[in-house]
Amino acid sequence: MSRASLRRIAAVAANTHRESVRERVLYNLVFFAILMMLSGLLLDELSVRQDEKLVKDLGLAAMEIFGILIALFIGVGLVSKELDKRSLYPLLAKPLRRWELLLGKFIGLALTLLVNIVVMTMAMLGTLSLTGRGFDPGLLVAVYTIFLSLLLIVAIALFFSTLTSSTLAAVSTFCLVLAGRYADVIRNMSTVLPDAPRWLIDLVYYSIPNFSNFDLKDRVVYGDAVSVEELLWITLYCGTYSGLALLLAFLGFRRRDLP
Amino acid sequence: MRICGLEKSYNVGLWRRRRFRALEPLHLDVPVGEVFGYIGPNGSGKTTTLKILMGLVMADAGDASILGHPYRGDVWRQRAGYLPEQPYFYDYLTAREYLDYAGRLLGLERGLRRDRAHALLSRLGLHKVADQPLRRYSKGMQQRLGLAQALLNDPEVVFLDEPMSGLDPLGRQLVHDLIQSLRSQRKSVFFSTHILPDAESLCDRVGLLRAGRLQSSGRLDEILDIDVSHLEVLVSGASSSFMEVAPTGVLDKRAVGDRWCLDVDENQLGRVIRAVEQDGGRVRSVRAQRLSLEEFFVRELGDGPSS
Repeated sequence: MSRASLRRIAAVAANTHRESVRERVLYNLVFFAILMMLSGLLLDELSVRQDEKLVKDLGLAAMEIFGILIALFIGVGLVSKELDKRSLYPLLAKPLRRWELLLGKFIGLALTLLVNIVVMTMAMLGTLSLTGRGFDPGLLVAVYTIFLSLLLIVAIALFFSTLTSSTLAAVSTFCLVLAGRYADVIRNMSTVLPDAPRWLIDLVYYSIPNFSNFDLKDRVVYGDAVSVEELLWITLYCGTYSGLALLLAFLGFRRRDLP
Repeated sequence: MRICGLEKSYNVGLWRRRRFRALEPLHLDVPVGEVFGYIGPNGSGKTTTLKILMGLVMADAGDASILGHPYRGDVWRQRAGYLPEQPYFYDYLTAREYLDYAGRLLGLERGLRRDRAHALLSRLGLHKVADQPLRRYSKGMQQRLGLAQALLNDPEVVFLDEPMSGLDPLGRQLVHDLIQSLRSQRKSVFFSTHILPDAESLCDRVGLLRAGRLQSSGRLDEILDIDVSHLEVLVSGASSSFMEVAPTGVLDKRAVGDRWCLDVDENQLGRVIRAVEQDGGRVRSVRAQRLSLEEFFVRELGDGPSS
Protein backbone atom coordinates (compact mmCIF):
# COMPACT_ATOMS: atom_id res chain seq x y z
CA MET A 1 0.00 0.00 0.00
CA SER A 2 1.55 3.29 -1.09
CA ARG A 3 1.87 6.37 1.06
CA ALA A 4 -0.54 8.27 -1.20
CA SER A 5 -3.06 5.48 -0.73
CA LEU A 6 -2.70 5.66 3.07
CA ARG A 7 -3.23 9.41 2.95
CA ARG A 8 -6.44 9.00 0.98
CA ILE A 9 -7.71 6.32 3.36
CA ALA A 10 -6.87 8.61 6.29
CA ALA A 11 -8.76 11.48 4.59
CA VAL A 12 -11.89 9.34 4.10
CA ALA A 13 -11.62 8.00 7.66
CA ALA A 14 -11.30 11.50 9.10
CA ASN A 15 -14.30 12.69 7.11
CA THR A 16 -16.40 9.66 8.08
CA HIS A 17 -15.54 10.29 11.71
CA ARG A 18 -16.47 13.95 11.29
CA GLU A 19 -19.76 12.96 9.67
CA SER A 20 -20.70 10.57 12.46
CA VAL A 21 -19.82 13.00 15.25
CA ARG A 22 -22.06 15.57 13.57
CA GLU A 23 -24.98 13.11 13.51
CA ARG A 24 -27.58 14.02 16.10
CA VAL A 25 -28.61 10.39 16.48
CA LEU A 26 -25.16 9.58 17.89
CA TYR A 27 -25.55 12.02 20.76
CA ASN A 28 -29.04 10.77 21.52
CA LEU A 29 -27.81 7.19 21.74
CA VAL A 30 -24.78 8.03 23.87
CA PHE A 31 -26.97 10.16 26.13
CA PHE A 32 -29.41 7.28 26.69
CA ALA A 33 -26.56 4.84 27.24
CA ILE A 34 -25.07 7.05 29.95
CA LEU A 35 -28.52 7.63 31.44
CA MET A 36 -29.00 3.86 31.62
CA MET A 37 -25.65 3.48 33.34
CA LEU A 38 -26.44 6.21 35.82
CA SER A 39 -29.75 4.53 36.58
CA GLY A 40 -27.55 1.88 38.18
CA LEU A 41 -27.11 4.38 41.02
CA LEU A 42 -30.83 4.27 41.75
CA LEU A 43 -31.13 0.51 41.35
CA ASP A 44 -28.13 0.05 43.58
CA GLU A 45 -29.96 1.92 46.34
CA LEU A 46 -33.16 -0.08 45.82
CA SER A 47 -31.40 -3.41 45.66
CA VAL A 48 -31.58 -5.39 48.92
CA ARG A 49 -28.01 -6.64 48.64
CA GLN A 50 -26.79 -3.43 47.00
CA ASP A 51 -25.19 -5.70 44.48
CA GLU A 52 -22.14 -4.40 42.62
CA LYS A 53 -22.95 -6.88 39.88
CA LEU A 54 -26.13 -4.98 39.08
CA VAL A 55 -24.26 -1.78 38.26
CA LYS A 56 -21.66 -3.60 36.17
CA ASP A 57 -24.27 -5.65 34.32
CA LEU A 58 -26.29 -2.57 33.51
CA GLY A 59 -23.23 -0.60 32.41
CA LEU A 60 -21.90 -3.28 30.07
CA ALA A 61 -25.35 -4.06 28.68
CA ALA A 62 -25.99 -0.36 27.94
CA MET A 63 -22.61 -0.11 26.25
CA GLU A 64 -23.32 -3.13 24.08
CA ILE A 65 -26.92 -2.32 23.13
CA PHE A 66 -26.27 1.31 22.28
CA GLY A 67 -22.98 0.45 20.61
CA ILE A 68 -24.82 -2.00 18.36
CA LEU A 69 -27.44 0.64 17.54
CA ILE A 70 -24.75 3.19 16.62
CA ALA A 71 -22.77 0.66 14.54
CA LEU A 72 -25.93 -0.48 12.80
CA PHE A 73 -27.61 2.84 12.07
CA ILE A 74 -24.52 4.72 11.00
CA GLY A 75 -22.85 1.69 9.39
CA VAL A 76 -25.68 0.85 7.00
CA GLY A 77 -25.73 4.39 5.63
CA LEU A 78 -21.98 4.59 5.02
CA VAL A 79 -22.24 3.74 1.33
CA SER A 80 -25.93 3.37 0.47
CA LYS A 81 -26.76 6.88 1.64
CA GLU A 82 -23.96 8.26 -0.50
CA LEU A 83 -25.17 6.28 -3.48
CA ASP A 84 -28.69 7.60 -3.01
CA LYS A 85 -27.50 11.19 -2.79
CA ARG A 86 -24.77 10.75 -5.41
CA SER A 87 -22.22 12.47 -3.19
CA LEU A 88 -19.61 9.88 -4.20
CA TYR A 89 -19.47 11.02 -7.82
CA PRO A 90 -16.96 13.85 -7.47
CA LEU A 91 -14.87 11.83 -5.01
CA LEU A 92 -14.55 8.66 -7.08
CA ALA A 93 -13.58 10.74 -10.11
CA LYS A 94 -10.50 11.75 -8.13
CA PRO A 95 -7.59 9.36 -7.62
CA LEU A 96 -9.53 7.52 -4.91
CA ARG A 97 -9.97 3.79 -5.41
CA ARG A 98 -13.16 2.15 -4.31
CA TRP A 99 -11.45 -0.16 -1.81
CA GLU A 100 -9.73 2.87 -0.28
CA LEU A 101 -13.11 4.49 0.17
CA LEU A 102 -14.58 1.43 1.89
CA LEU A 103 -11.57 0.92 4.15
CA GLY A 104 -11.53 4.61 5.06
CA LYS A 105 -15.22 4.52 5.93
CA PHE A 106 -14.73 1.43 8.10
CA ILE A 107 -11.81 3.00 9.97
CA GLY A 108 -13.68 6.29 10.39
CA LEU A 109 -16.69 4.66 12.01
CA ALA A 110 -14.44 2.39 14.08
CA LEU A 111 -12.79 5.52 15.41
CA THR A 112 -16.15 7.01 16.33
CA LEU A 113 -17.14 3.80 18.11
CA LEU A 114 -13.85 3.82 19.99
CA VAL A 115 -14.49 7.36 21.22
CA ASN A 116 -18.03 6.38 22.26
CA ILE A 117 -16.83 3.27 24.05
CA VAL A 118 -14.26 5.33 25.94
CA VAL A 119 -16.92 7.87 26.97
CA MET A 120 -19.35 5.13 28.05
CA THR A 121 -16.61 3.26 29.94
CA MET A 122 -15.78 6.44 31.84
CA ALA A 123 -19.49 6.86 32.63
CA MET A 124 -19.66 3.27 33.90
CA LEU A 125 -16.52 3.62 36.03
CA GLY A 126 -17.87 6.92 37.33
CA THR A 127 -21.11 5.23 38.34
CA LEU A 128 -19.17 2.51 40.16
CA SER A 129 -17.05 5.10 41.87
CA LEU A 130 -20.15 7.01 43.03
CA THR A 131 -21.45 3.82 44.66
CA GLY A 132 -18.17 3.44 46.50
CA ARG A 133 -16.71 0.60 44.42
CA GLY A 134 -13.15 0.64 43.20
CA PHE A 135 -11.83 0.26 39.69
CA ASP A 136 -12.16 -3.29 38.33
CA PRO A 137 -9.65 -3.84 35.48
CA GLY A 138 -11.54 -6.99 34.48
CA LEU A 139 -14.30 -4.76 33.12
CA LEU A 140 -11.97 -3.47 30.46
CA VAL A 141 -11.68 -7.00 29.05
CA ALA A 142 -15.43 -7.12 28.49
CA VAL A 143 -15.35 -3.58 27.07
CA TYR A 144 -12.62 -4.66 24.65
CA THR A 145 -14.59 -7.64 23.33
CA ILE A 146 -17.72 -5.49 23.03
CA PHE A 147 -15.68 -3.10 20.90
CA LEU A 148 -14.48 -6.00 18.72
CA SER A 149 -18.06 -7.18 18.20
CA LEU A 150 -19.02 -3.64 17.15
CA LEU A 151 -16.20 -3.58 14.59
CA LEU A 152 -17.56 -6.80 13.11
CA ILE A 153 -21.06 -5.31 12.97
CA VAL A 154 -19.72 -2.25 11.14
CA ALA A 155 -17.96 -4.51 8.60
CA ILE A 156 -21.18 -6.48 8.03
CA ALA A 157 -23.25 -3.29 7.79
CA LEU A 158 -20.75 -1.87 5.30
CA PHE A 159 -21.00 -5.04 3.22
CA PHE A 160 -24.79 -4.82 3.01
CA SER A 161 -24.56 -1.07 2.50
CA THR A 162 -22.66 -1.60 -0.76
CA LEU A 163 -25.34 -3.96 -2.04
CA THR A 164 -28.68 -2.47 -1.14
CA SER A 165 -30.62 0.42 0.37
CA SER A 166 -30.08 1.63 3.95
CA THR A 167 -33.32 0.04 5.16
CA LEU A 168 -32.64 -3.38 3.66
CA ALA A 169 -29.03 -3.20 4.79
CA ALA A 170 -30.21 -2.46 8.36
CA VAL A 171 -32.66 -5.37 8.33
CA SER A 172 -30.08 -7.76 6.84
CA THR A 173 -27.37 -6.73 9.29
CA PHE A 174 -29.74 -6.99 12.24
CA CYS A 175 -30.86 -10.49 11.18
CA LEU A 176 -27.28 -11.66 10.75
CA VAL A 177 -26.21 -10.25 14.12
CA LEU A 178 -29.25 -11.85 15.76
CA ALA A 179 -28.49 -15.20 14.14
CA GLY A 180 -24.89 -14.80 15.25
CA ARG A 181 -25.99 -14.28 18.84
CA TYR A 182 -27.68 -17.67 18.69
CA ALA A 183 -25.11 -19.46 16.53
CA ASP A 184 -24.75 -22.19 19.14
CA VAL A 185 -28.39 -23.09 18.57
CA ILE A 186 -27.54 -23.63 14.89
CA ARG A 187 -24.57 -25.79 15.84
CA ASN A 188 -26.80 -28.04 17.97
CA MET A 189 -29.49 -28.17 15.32
CA SER A 190 -28.78 -31.86 14.64
CA THR A 191 -30.38 -32.78 17.97
CA VAL A 192 -33.64 -31.16 16.81
CA LEU A 193 -33.29 -32.14 13.14
CA PRO A 194 -31.42 -35.46 13.13
CA ASP A 195 -31.99 -35.93 9.39
CA ALA A 196 -30.38 -32.64 8.42
CA PRO A 197 -26.98 -33.20 6.79
CA ARG A 198 -24.14 -32.40 9.14
CA TRP A 199 -22.18 -30.53 6.43
CA LEU A 200 -25.11 -28.17 5.87
CA ILE A 201 -25.38 -27.36 9.56
CA ASP A 202 -21.62 -26.79 9.73
CA LEU A 203 -21.73 -24.61 6.63
CA VAL A 204 -24.45 -22.41 8.10
CA TYR A 205 -22.74 -22.31 11.49
CA TYR A 206 -19.34 -21.28 10.12
CA SER A 207 -20.83 -18.82 7.63
CA ILE A 208 -22.40 -16.80 10.40
CA PRO A 209 -20.08 -15.00 12.81
CA ASN A 210 -20.66 -16.32 16.31
CA PHE A 211 -21.30 -13.22 18.36
CA SER A 212 -21.52 -15.18 21.60
CA ASN A 213 -17.72 -15.51 21.36
CA PHE A 214 -17.48 -11.83 22.19
CA ASP A 215 -19.77 -12.02 25.18
CA LEU A 216 -17.57 -12.08 28.28
CA LYS A 217 -19.85 -9.89 30.38
CA ASP A 218 -21.02 -12.54 32.84
CA ARG A 219 -17.57 -14.00 33.29
CA VAL A 220 -16.05 -10.62 33.98
CA VAL A 221 -18.80 -9.54 36.34
CA TYR A 222 -18.41 -12.78 38.33
CA GLY A 223 -14.66 -12.26 38.45
CA ASP A 224 -13.66 -15.20 36.24
CA ALA A 225 -10.25 -14.84 34.68
CA VAL A 226 -9.95 -14.44 30.91
CA SER A 227 -6.62 -15.58 29.51
CA VAL A 228 -4.53 -13.55 27.10
CA GLU A 229 -4.67 -16.47 24.64
CA GLU A 230 -8.44 -16.32 24.68
CA LEU A 231 -8.41 -12.59 24.03
CA LEU A 232 -5.98 -13.08 21.17
CA TRP A 233 -8.21 -15.77 19.72
CA ILE A 234 -11.27 -13.48 19.93
CA THR A 235 -9.26 -10.69 18.30
CA LEU A 236 -8.20 -13.02 15.50
CA TYR A 237 -11.77 -14.22 15.09
CA CYS A 238 -12.97 -10.63 14.77
CA GLY A 239 -10.17 -9.79 12.34
CA THR A 240 -10.92 -12.78 10.13
CA TYR A 241 -14.66 -12.23 9.89
CA SER A 242 -14.35 -8.45 9.57
CA GLY A 243 -11.70 -8.86 6.89
CA LEU A 244 -13.92 -11.30 5.05
CA ALA A 245 -16.92 -8.96 5.24
CA LEU A 246 -14.80 -6.05 3.99
CA LEU A 247 -13.38 -8.17 1.19
CA LEU A 248 -16.88 -9.18 0.09
CA ALA A 249 -17.97 -5.55 0.32
CA PHE A 250 -15.10 -4.53 -1.92
CA LEU A 251 -15.76 -7.31 -4.43
CA GLY A 252 -19.43 -6.35 -4.57
CA PHE A 253 -18.67 -2.66 -4.94
CA ARG A 254 -15.63 -2.88 -7.21
CA ARG A 255 -17.45 -2.95 -10.52
CA ARG A 256 -20.87 -1.78 -9.43
CA ASP A 257 -22.50 0.83 -11.65
CA LEU A 258 -23.39 3.87 -9.58
CA PRO A 259 -27.01 5.00 -10.05
CA MET B 1 -8.74 12.35 -25.07
CA ARG B 2 -9.43 9.43 -27.35
CA ILE B 3 -12.51 7.22 -27.06
CA CYS B 4 -12.51 3.97 -29.00
CA GLY B 5 -15.79 2.09 -29.11
CA LEU B 6 -17.04 2.62 -25.56
CA GLU B 7 -20.51 1.18 -25.21
CA LYS B 8 -23.01 0.54 -22.45
CA SER B 9 -26.30 -1.32 -22.03
CA TYR B 10 -28.49 -1.70 -18.97
CA ASN B 11 -30.98 -4.36 -17.97
CA VAL B 12 -34.39 -2.77 -17.53
CA GLY B 13 -37.75 -4.08 -16.37
CA LEU B 14 -38.54 -6.02 -13.22
CA TRP B 15 -40.05 -9.20 -14.65
CA ARG B 16 -39.41 -9.07 -18.37
CA ARG B 17 -35.77 -8.12 -18.37
CA ARG B 18 -34.56 -6.51 -21.55
CA ARG B 19 -31.42 -4.70 -22.57
CA PHE B 20 -31.54 -0.95 -22.99
CA ARG B 21 -28.70 0.40 -25.05
CA ALA B 22 -27.61 3.61 -23.35
CA LEU B 23 -24.53 4.16 -25.49
CA GLU B 24 -23.75 2.76 -28.91
CA PRO B 25 -20.06 2.17 -29.66
CA LEU B 26 -18.59 5.66 -29.36
CA HIS B 27 -15.51 6.90 -31.20
CA LEU B 28 -14.32 10.40 -30.43
CA ASP B 29 -11.11 12.44 -30.32
CA VAL B 30 -10.70 15.64 -28.36
CA PRO B 31 -7.31 17.33 -28.82
CA VAL B 32 -5.48 19.18 -26.07
CA GLY B 33 -6.64 22.74 -25.46
CA GLU B 34 -10.03 22.32 -27.10
CA VAL B 35 -13.41 23.22 -25.65
CA PHE B 36 -15.62 20.37 -26.77
CA GLY B 37 -19.39 20.49 -26.34
CA TYR B 38 -21.12 17.17 -25.95
CA ILE B 39 -24.65 18.02 -26.92
CA GLY B 40 -27.89 16.15 -27.18
CA PRO B 41 -31.36 16.04 -25.66
CA ASN B 42 -32.08 14.64 -22.21
CA GLY B 43 -31.57 10.91 -22.10
CA SER B 44 -29.29 10.81 -25.12
CA GLY B 45 -26.35 9.27 -23.26
CA LYS B 46 -24.24 12.33 -22.40
CA THR B 47 -24.11 11.64 -18.67
CA THR B 48 -23.54 7.92 -19.27
CA THR B 49 -20.47 8.74 -21.35
CA LEU B 50 -19.08 10.99 -18.66
CA LYS B 51 -19.83 8.45 -15.94
CA ILE B 52 -17.98 5.76 -17.89
CA LEU B 53 -14.95 8.00 -18.33
CA MET B 54 -14.97 8.87 -14.63
CA GLY B 55 -15.21 5.20 -13.62
CA LEU B 56 -18.65 5.55 -12.03
CA VAL B 57 -20.24 3.19 -14.55
CA MET B 58 -18.48 0.25 -16.20
CA ALA B 59 -18.44 0.10 -20.00
CA ASP B 60 -19.47 -3.18 -21.63
CA ALA B 61 -16.76 -2.82 -24.25
CA GLY B 62 -14.35 -0.35 -25.75
CA ASP B 63 -11.47 1.68 -24.43
CA ALA B 64 -10.38 5.25 -23.94
CA SER B 65 -7.33 7.24 -23.01
CA ILE B 66 -7.20 10.56 -21.23
CA LEU B 67 -4.06 12.69 -21.21
CA GLY B 68 -2.29 9.72 -22.75
CA HIS B 69 -3.22 7.27 -19.98
CA PRO B 70 -5.77 4.43 -19.95
CA TYR B 71 -9.05 5.78 -18.65
CA ARG B 72 -9.48 2.91 -16.18
CA GLY B 73 -6.29 3.90 -14.36
CA ASP B 74 -5.70 6.64 -11.83
CA VAL B 75 -2.72 8.51 -13.29
CA TRP B 76 -4.71 11.08 -15.29
CA ARG B 77 -7.16 11.73 -12.46
CA GLN B 78 -4.55 13.78 -10.65
CA ARG B 79 -4.63 16.19 -13.62
CA ALA B 80 -8.36 16.18 -14.32
CA GLY B 81 -11.48 17.75 -12.84
CA TYR B 82 -15.09 16.60 -12.95
CA LEU B 83 -18.36 18.32 -12.18
CA PRO B 84 -21.27 15.84 -12.05
CA GLU B 85 -24.77 16.77 -13.11
CA GLN B 86 -26.75 18.26 -10.21
CA PRO B 87 -24.00 17.64 -7.70
CA TYR B 88 -24.70 16.94 -4.05
CA PHE B 89 -22.14 17.57 -1.36
CA TYR B 90 -22.05 16.57 2.30
CA ASP B 91 -24.45 18.92 4.01
CA TYR B 92 -22.66 18.61 7.35
CA LEU B 93 -19.52 20.23 5.92
CA THR B 94 -18.79 23.82 5.03
CA ALA B 95 -17.51 24.69 1.56
CA ARG B 96 -14.02 25.25 2.95
CA GLU B 97 -14.06 21.88 4.71
CA TYR B 98 -15.32 20.13 1.60
CA LEU B 99 -12.59 21.62 -0.57
CA ASP B 100 -10.01 20.66 2.02
CA TYR B 101 -11.31 17.08 1.92
CA ALA B 102 -11.27 17.03 -1.89
CA GLY B 103 -7.74 18.46 -1.82
CA ARG B 104 -6.57 15.72 0.53
CA LEU B 105 -7.92 13.09 -1.85
CA LEU B 106 -5.98 14.79 -4.64
CA GLY B 107 -2.83 14.64 -2.53
CA LEU B 108 -2.40 18.42 -2.29
CA GLU B 109 -0.34 19.78 0.59
CA ARG B 110 -2.15 21.66 3.34
CA GLY B 111 -0.93 25.15 2.37
CA LEU B 112 -1.70 24.63 -1.30
CA ARG B 113 -5.16 23.26 -0.45
CA ARG B 114 -5.94 26.30 1.65
CA ASP B 115 -4.68 28.81 -0.92
CA ARG B 116 -6.43 27.19 -3.87
CA ALA B 117 -9.68 26.79 -1.95
CA HIS B 118 -9.56 30.44 -0.91
CA ALA B 119 -8.87 31.63 -4.47
CA LEU B 120 -11.61 29.49 -6.01
CA LEU B 121 -14.20 30.38 -3.38
CA SER B 122 -13.49 34.06 -4.06
CA ARG B 123 -13.60 33.62 -7.81
CA LEU B 124 -16.89 31.76 -7.67
CA GLY B 125 -18.47 34.23 -5.26
CA LEU B 126 -18.70 31.83 -2.32
CA HIS B 127 -16.11 33.42 -0.02
CA LYS B 128 -18.74 35.07 2.18
CA VAL B 129 -20.52 31.76 2.81
CA ALA B 130 -17.43 29.56 2.82
CA ASP B 131 -17.82 28.69 6.50
CA GLN B 132 -21.54 27.98 6.42
CA PRO B 133 -22.81 24.38 6.37
CA LEU B 134 -23.66 23.24 2.86
CA ARG B 135 -27.21 22.40 3.92
CA ARG B 136 -27.88 26.14 3.73
CA TYR B 137 -26.64 26.36 0.15
CA SER B 138 -29.00 26.91 -2.76
CA LYS B 139 -28.82 24.75 -5.87
CA GLY B 140 -26.80 27.40 -7.67
CA MET B 141 -24.34 27.71 -4.80
CA GLN B 142 -23.86 23.94 -4.78
CA GLN B 143 -23.17 24.09 -8.50
CA ARG B 144 -20.52 26.74 -7.92
CA LEU B 145 -18.93 24.61 -5.22
CA GLY B 146 -18.98 21.73 -7.68
CA LEU B 147 -16.99 23.86 -10.10
CA ALA B 148 -14.57 24.81 -7.34
CA GLN B 149 -13.83 21.19 -6.45
CA ALA B 150 -13.42 20.36 -10.15
CA LEU B 151 -10.78 23.07 -10.54
CA LEU B 152 -9.01 22.54 -7.21
CA ASN B 153 -6.04 20.68 -8.69
CA ASP B 154 -5.59 23.18 -11.53
CA PRO B 155 -6.53 20.44 -13.99
CA GLU B 156 -5.35 20.08 -17.56
CA VAL B 157 -8.67 18.63 -18.63
CA VAL B 158 -12.07 19.40 -17.12
CA PHE B 159 -15.24 17.35 -17.56
CA LEU B 160 -18.40 19.30 -16.85
CA ASP B 161 -21.81 17.65 -16.92
CA GLU B 162 -24.47 20.30 -17.57
CA PRO B 163 -22.44 23.05 -15.85
CA MET B 164 -25.09 25.74 -16.37
CA SER B 165 -27.84 23.69 -14.78
CA GLY B 166 -29.50 25.41 -11.82
CA LEU B 167 -27.59 28.65 -12.24
CA ASP B 168 -29.08 32.13 -12.37
CA PRO B 169 -27.96 34.49 -15.19
CA LEU B 170 -25.03 35.75 -13.12
CA GLY B 171 -23.95 32.21 -12.38
CA ARG B 172 -24.22 31.27 -16.03
CA GLN B 173 -22.05 34.21 -16.98
CA LEU B 174 -19.56 33.14 -14.33
CA VAL B 175 -19.32 29.64 -15.79
CA HIS B 176 -19.13 31.10 -19.25
CA ASP B 177 -16.18 33.26 -18.22
CA LEU B 178 -14.59 30.34 -16.42
CA ILE B 179 -14.67 28.13 -19.49
CA GLN B 180 -13.32 30.98 -21.62
CA SER B 181 -10.52 31.44 -19.12
CA LEU B 182 -9.71 27.70 -19.25
CA ARG B 183 -9.62 27.92 -23.01
CA SER B 184 -7.19 30.86 -22.86
CA GLN B 185 -4.94 28.74 -20.62
CA ARG B 186 -4.96 26.00 -23.28
CA LYS B 187 -6.84 23.60 -21.01
CA SER B 188 -9.18 21.04 -22.47
CA VAL B 189 -12.83 21.28 -21.52
CA PHE B 190 -15.33 18.54 -22.27
CA PHE B 191 -18.78 19.66 -21.30
CA SER B 192 -22.23 18.28 -21.87
CA THR B 193 -25.25 20.43 -22.43
CA HIS B 194 -28.60 20.42 -24.14
CA ILE B 195 -28.68 24.19 -24.35
CA LEU B 196 -27.56 25.15 -27.81
CA PRO B 197 -26.53 28.79 -27.16
CA ASP B 198 -24.10 27.59 -24.46
CA ALA B 199 -22.45 25.21 -26.87
CA GLU B 200 -22.53 27.75 -29.64
CA SER B 201 -20.83 30.49 -27.70
CA LEU B 202 -18.21 28.37 -25.97
CA CYS B 203 -17.20 25.39 -28.05
CA ASP B 204 -14.50 24.93 -30.62
CA ARG B 205 -16.21 21.73 -31.69
CA VAL B 206 -19.25 19.73 -30.67
CA GLY B 207 -20.34 16.12 -30.73
CA LEU B 208 -24.01 15.56 -31.36
CA LEU B 209 -25.51 12.64 -29.50
CA ARG B 210 -28.94 11.17 -29.93
CA ALA B 211 -30.38 8.01 -28.42
CA GLY B 212 -26.93 6.85 -27.40
CA ARG B 213 -25.44 7.30 -30.85
CA LEU B 214 -22.98 9.97 -31.91
CA GLN B 215 -24.69 11.48 -34.92
CA SER B 216 -21.78 13.64 -35.93
CA SER B 217 -19.00 15.79 -34.58
CA GLY B 218 -17.38 18.94 -35.82
CA ARG B 219 -18.04 22.66 -35.71
CA LEU B 220 -21.58 23.41 -34.55
CA ASP B 221 -22.67 25.30 -37.64
CA GLU B 222 -21.32 22.51 -39.82
CA ILE B 223 -23.10 19.64 -38.16
CA LEU B 224 -26.37 21.20 -37.12
CA ASP B 225 -26.92 23.38 -40.16
CA ILE B 226 -29.47 25.42 -38.29
CA ASP B 227 -31.50 27.89 -40.30
CA VAL B 228 -32.44 31.17 -38.76
CA SER B 229 -36.16 30.61 -38.54
CA HIS B 230 -37.08 34.17 -37.74
CA LEU B 231 -35.71 37.42 -36.37
CA GLU B 232 -36.72 39.18 -33.19
CA VAL B 233 -37.16 42.93 -33.77
CA LEU B 234 -37.52 45.33 -30.83
CA VAL B 235 -39.50 48.44 -31.74
CA SER B 236 -40.23 51.65 -29.82
CA GLY B 237 -42.47 54.61 -30.58
CA ALA B 238 -44.80 52.78 -32.94
CA SER B 239 -48.46 53.70 -32.70
CA SER B 240 -51.03 51.29 -31.28
CA SER B 241 -53.07 51.44 -34.47
CA PHE B 242 -49.99 50.49 -36.46
CA MET B 243 -49.28 47.56 -34.19
CA GLU B 244 -52.86 46.33 -34.35
CA VAL B 245 -52.54 45.91 -38.11
CA ALA B 246 -49.01 44.59 -38.20
CA PRO B 247 -47.22 44.79 -41.58
CA THR B 248 -46.64 41.78 -43.78
CA GLY B 249 -43.82 39.61 -42.51
CA VAL B 250 -44.64 39.97 -38.81
CA LEU B 251 -45.30 36.46 -37.55
CA ASP B 252 -46.04 37.35 -33.96
CA LYS B 253 -45.97 40.40 -31.69
CA ARG B 254 -46.00 41.09 -27.96
CA ALA B 255 -45.77 44.25 -25.82
CA VAL B 256 -42.64 44.66 -23.67
CA GLY B 257 -43.37 47.69 -21.48
CA ASP B 258 -43.82 50.63 -23.89
CA ARG B 259 -42.04 48.75 -26.66
CA TRP B 260 -43.02 45.95 -28.99
CA CYS B 261 -41.20 42.76 -29.72
CA LEU B 262 -41.92 41.44 -33.22
CA ASP B 263 -41.09 38.01 -34.63
CA VAL B 264 -40.29 38.77 -38.25
CA ASP B 265 -39.77 36.50 -41.24
CA GLU B 266 -36.13 36.85 -42.27
CA ASN B 267 -37.04 37.63 -45.89
CA GLN B 268 -39.45 40.41 -44.90
CA LEU B 269 -37.11 42.26 -42.50
CA GLY B 270 -36.46 45.26 -44.76
CA ARG B 271 -40.15 45.76 -45.46
CA VAL B 272 -41.02 45.63 -41.73
CA ILE B 273 -38.28 48.09 -40.75
CA ARG B 274 -39.44 50.57 -43.41
CA ALA B 275 -43.05 50.27 -42.25
CA VAL B 276 -42.06 50.91 -38.63
CA GLU B 277 -40.04 53.99 -39.57
CA GLN B 278 -42.80 55.37 -41.76
CA ASP B 279 -45.12 55.12 -38.75
CA GLY B 280 -42.64 57.16 -36.69
CA GLY B 281 -41.28 54.26 -34.71
CA ARG B 282 -37.67 53.14 -34.24
CA VAL B 283 -36.06 49.75 -34.50
CA ARG B 284 -33.97 49.26 -31.37
CA SER B 285 -32.48 45.86 -32.10
CA VAL B 286 -32.67 42.90 -34.48
CA ARG B 287 -31.69 39.47 -33.18
CA ALA B 288 -31.55 36.12 -34.88
CA GLN B 289 -33.73 33.55 -33.15
CA ARG B 290 -32.49 30.02 -33.27
CA LEU B 291 -34.14 26.82 -32.29
CA SER B 292 -33.06 25.11 -29.13
CA LEU B 293 -31.34 21.82 -29.69
CA GLU B 294 -34.36 19.96 -28.40
CA GLU B 295 -36.68 21.90 -30.70
CA PHE B 296 -34.33 21.17 -33.53
CA PHE B 297 -34.36 17.49 -32.68
CA VAL B 298 -38.11 17.33 -32.44
CA ARG B 299 -38.51 19.17 -35.70
CA GLU B 300 -35.75 17.51 -37.68
CA LEU B 301 -35.94 14.00 -36.35
CA GLY B 302 -39.63 13.79 -35.69
CA ASP B 303 -39.71 12.10 -32.27
CA GLY B 304 -39.26 12.95 -28.60
CA PRO B 305 -35.98 13.70 -26.92
CA SER B 306 -35.95 10.54 -24.86
CA SER B 307 -36.33 8.26 -27.84
